[in-house]
Amino acid sequence: MAGVSLSNIIKRYGAVQVVHGINLEVAEKEFVVLVGPSGCGKSTTLRMIAGLEEISEGDLLIDERRMNRVAPKDRDVAMVFQNYALYPHLNVADNMAFGLRIRRMPKDQIATTISETAAILGLTDYLERRPADLSGGQRQRVAMGRAIVRHPKVFLFDEPLSNLDAKLRTQMRAEIKRLHNRLGVTSVYVTHDQVEAMTLADRIVVMNDGRIEQVGTPMELFNNPVNTFVAGFLGSPPMNQMKGQLTETGARIGSAEIKISGAMNGDAGRDVIIGIRPEHVTLEPGAQTSVLPIELDLVEPLGSEALLHARFGDDNVMFKTETHGDLSHLSGVAEVHIPASRVKIFDAETGNALSLGG
Amino acid sequence: MVEEHSTATQSIQDNVLQAREAAPLHSDGKMVRLLDHFKREWQLYVMLAPTIIWFLVFLYKPMYGLQIAFKDYSIFRGVAGSPWVGWEHFETLFSNDQFLRAIGNTIKISALNLIFGFPAPIILALMFNEILNARFKKTAQTIVYLPHFISSVIIAGIVITAFAPTGGIVNVILGWFGIDSIYFLTRPEWFRPIFVGTGIWQEAGFGSIVFLAAIAGVNPSLYESAVVDGANRWQMMWKITIPSIMPTILIMLIIRIGNIMEVSFELVILLYQPATYSTADVVNTWVYRQGLQSGQYDLAAAAGLFNAVVAFVLVMTANTLSRRYSRTSLW
Repeated sequence: MAGVSLSNIIKRYGAVQVVHGINLEVAEKEFVVLVGPSGCGKSTTLRMIAGLEEISEGDLLIDERRMNRVAPKDRDVAMVFQNYALYPHLNVADNMAFGLRIRRMPKDQIATTISETAAILGLTDYLERRPADLSGGQRQRVAMGRAIVRHPKVFLFDEPLSNLDAKLRTQMRAEIKRLHNRLGVTSVYVTHDQVEAMTLADRIVVMNDGRIEQVGTPMELFNNPVNTFVAGFLGSPPMNQMKGQLTETGARIGSAEIKISGAMNGDAGRDVIIGIRPEHVTLEPGAQTSVLPIELDLVEPLGSEALLHARFGDDNVMFKTETHGDLSHLSGVAEVHIPASRVKIFDAETGNALSLGG
Repeated sequence: MVEEHSTATQSIQDNVLQAREAAPLHSDGKMVRLLDHFKREWQLYVMLAPTIIWFLVFLYKPMYGLQIAFKDYSIFRGVAGSPWVGWEHFETLFSNDQFLRAIGNTIKISALNLIFGFPAPIILALMFNEILNARFKKTAQTIVYLPHFISSVIIAGIVITAFAPTGGIVNVILGWFGIDSIYFLTRPEWFRPIFVGTGIWQEAGFGSIVFLAAIAGVNPSLYESAVVDGANRWQMMWKITIPSIMPTILIMLIIRIGNIMEVSFELVILLYQPATYSTADVVNTWVYRQGLQSGQYDLAAAAGLFNAVVAFVLVMTANTLSRRYSRTSLW
């Protein structure tokens, strides 16, 4: 097993710089997810780790060895691609054995490895089938099998679940997590799906426009986003962000006064963005809660929960609440209650989180 | 609730039936649908028309004349007026040594073309695919595509000049090694290699376009995956590129097999001479001499029909075998 270290990694295509000096340490056996919107540089970063893209500047270390000029085959990494990259003319067994044959592993050893891996992935009955005869989930498993049989130091996943339907994605997500727990191989996983990132990662790296916005555990990022981008990217539905001003006792959003935990340190009057996660509001008042009057627009039942689409002043806001199996109490909702400890404050200009003294 | 649902379903079904009755044209079968389609997409049919007309005029209308293969044809009595003679022309053909020799030559030249000429554009395409310098690649492609656009007469002229006994580049080079000058084009044993080689030179480059297009269609992540797995360029060519373009190779092979009796007629006519008839005379040149030069149109039609039937059987067989063993077929 090995760690991966990226130090001031820059990627340029001609004069265009797409990755602007990334620094990241992936510990041994850690599962790190790079997440961000399309074009944020996450796949490019992964491909630089794999050796499929040249690194313009900076240092890449795998297992403490500088890899910038090392050929992909000698980096001891295995990659799972978005479209699986299965060889259509080979059956499942041959697809999985491809890398091993290239490395001239003895035939009996290949057979044993394939059979063990197929058993782990539930592919034993499909070894003779070609990719065209498999379902999306099975193809995905073959792609993972091809990576596993190599016993690499690092697994690289490039949006491996994005071609699957929602149900299968949930299922495969759990399988990947189980597999990682079982094999304990250092993994770097790229996705644009924040749910995948939250559920799979030991640590999440949120990227935007070729830069890292924040690195941390899923709950760190969820509870303490460093800026409005991270706050808006992680969480489903995303955090409500409303313009307001700090006051002596809290913050004002339009006509509403919101209590905030922590002192204002004389920042009263400062323009800020107030962030409230949809799931943090309550319909009943509590100690240290503030009232936010809303105009309810739509109720979307999700079963045990419901999404409330509403308007507050000029802002569209969204809240999540438990239904207890009944939607009748939601139809007349005209206000929600915001716990002071859950309110996030960001600078209106920079979008960076403001830490309030306590 | 259930009652409400069934009432609603009934109402929808009634509406559908009423709509069908109100628009009877849409239930009148294929012809009406075709007419509807024509009215809607007439521009597409207009674009299709020249090709259909070409097929009708040049391929289907002449089929009417095929019957002269079974008639004692006279240009004065016409196709319809000439008397039937049954299989007489076919019996004549198969008792004619020159025709049998022409069949043998056709098969031998086609086999050589298939063995050496068919892989040439594939190899060329694979080589082009490996060239990384874009400018060099474009230049090389232009050079090898060029002979295709030169008329067969000029190609034959170049070949005749190149292989000329005095001053021909080939004999000049042989002279450097002390080898006596050879009059290649009068030597039967040299005709086939020269003919097949000329064909490769003329068509391999242009033929490689199809395979280059097929290579361009190979999923790039297959190569990336192979690179991460440790494959080198040679292994990627053998284990990814060639298997990936195999369906295209098989389709082109089926088409080629269908044309096996159609040895390039103009080039043979331009390169052969009576001294090389023993190896150069193919069915088409024999048909040309018998049919047009000697005026035996009925005999020539019988030979042409035989050619077409053999080609049809071959292409059907190749297609069936390919479909059965490789899941790839023309139809």
